[in-house]
Amino acid sequence: MIGTIQRALKVARRVFQQLKGDPRFLAGSIIIPLIIIYFMNIVFDALASPAFNVNVYVVPYGAFIVHFITFILTAIVLVRERTGGTLSRMFVSGYYQAEIISGYIMAYSVLATVQSLAVLLEINWLFELEYGFEKLGSIYLVIWLLSVISVAIGTLVSNFARNEGQVFPFIPLVILSVILAGIILPVEMLPEWSQGLSYTTPLFYANEIIQELILDNTLLDNLGMLGNMTLYGLVVIGLAFMTLREKD
Amino acid sequence: MGDVAVKIYGLRKNFGKVQALRGIDLEIETGQIYGFLGPNGAGKTTLIRSLIGATNISGGEVSVLGLDPQKEKKKLRKQIGYMPQTPALYEDISLRDNIIFFGGAHGSRKLKKNMRGVINFVDLKERMNDPIYTFSGGMKQRASLACALVNVPRILFLDEPTSGIDPQLRETFWKHFRVMADKGITIFVSTHQMDEAMYCDKLAILHEGILLADDTPRNLLWKKEAKVRVWKNDRYVENVLENYPEKIPIALRRFGLDKSITRIEIEETSLETVILQLIEEKVEGRERSIS
Repeated sequence: MIGTIQRALKVARRVFQQLKGDPRFLAGSIIIPLIIIYFMNIVFDALASPAFNVNVYVVPYGAFIVHFITFILTAIVLVRERTGGTLSRMFVSGYYQAEIISGYIMAYSVLATVQSLAVLLEINWLFELEYGFEKLGSIYLVIWLLSVISVAIGTLVSNFARNEGQVFPFIPLVILSVILAGIILPVEMLPEWSQGLSYTTPLFYANEIIQELILDNTLLDNLGMLGNMTLYGLVVIGLAFMTLREKD
Repeated sequence: MGDVAVKIYGLRKNFGKVQALRGIDLEIETGQIYGFLGPNGAGKTTLIRSLIGATNISGGEVSVLGLDPQKEKKKLRKQIGYMPQTPALYEDISLRDNIIFFGGAHGSRKLKKNMRGVINFVDLKERMNDPIYTFSGGMKQRASLACALVNVPRILFLDEPTSGIDPQLRETFWKHFRVMADKGITIFVSTHQMDEAMYCDKLAILHEGILLADDTPRNLLWKKEAKVRVWKNDRYVENVLENYPEKIPIALRRFGLDKSITRIEIEETSLETVILQLIEEKVEGRERSIS
């Protein structure tokens, strides 16, 4: 067990070293979401009217941006490991599925933590939300959890892709999740047959909790949905463990 | 015969309908340098990957250091070193960090000490803290070799280890491989370089997943025809002989071995020609069996 933890930490350490050695990637993954939020602010300002409550949309959109970018970056980086032969070499060198995935999730979750925080602070500032520390902290926790799940989804998807190009068919599915999650329209307004699909996207759980938090409810009032979201994440991580192929 | 490090019986590997290995039988003694020659797609890399448990096998039995690579890979991987065909290193981090990462999975206490040794051996001491993306192709190969050697393996799998490396360093590598083999480390190496094949204790020639020959480099050469010119005064007679070391005495007896024989020239077949002949013989055999 200690050996497993140590090896997972070694994988995480190595990913950090790589991130440090690739400042463009690091800067891009933090700055690009901030640029998108900036332009989102311009669009929402243009749409602003007394009948349009911007707050209901901006935080979930921010969560979506974090989810989308984290997913893409993780999936592509891991596919690159496979095509470059380093994944295979890691296995032969004595690392195992669970250690590799745990190491990746640890390392990229730290990056996602910084990313989520930057996005939320920018949203709070540009949209003048004036949320208190507790509300902001609760929303941050939800976005952070979503970003960790996004790392796991990226890992899972990478297991089914032989090259970077094969990640792209999954991108429309992530975009579709904005609609399925009820961010644009409430889920009840979607066709009945598609409403069940909402449960397949982590954004649905995140949006449900964020909407409640905006209405001044607390995380304690949403423990059920938070539990569902955590369970969703654990299932994805479990699937990622099981599907990471060592052999061809 | 010494201890057997690798035993392979009827090894088959299919990728869908493609038969990459078609029933390989082989035994490799401990402390041997065993070379694998063959054209692209012959199955050399697949064979190595089967032996290290990096690919599922479709049939047959494999034992490496007495362990089944499919079922006992945890034990096996503590004892092997593997250098893949492409360098397979993390480009954004230094050579030192790559070695610590790939060599660190088993928690060896000698890792840092060994690391200094292998970095010196691959002659990259001055560049050990530089990221791999700043290295040339040959330097990446050397860095990859350093990662494979750092845990002082009992058996070393090298997939074309010297491609892109200058001749001087190649020779140094092979000298070092010989020292390692003399210490009892078994070295399993695939190569395209015919001159390098002569450094091996034994050679296996693979073609389309079939083992065409398995012998010492000398025996492989001797089994094929060689031109032997016997000069008597200022004239010579040329004989084309198979297995010339045994046939030369017979040829000489025919000429009468006297002082008038001034020179004997032997023009051996090259290893490249031997391989091509073996492949041609196999193709002809297949065509005959079809017709």
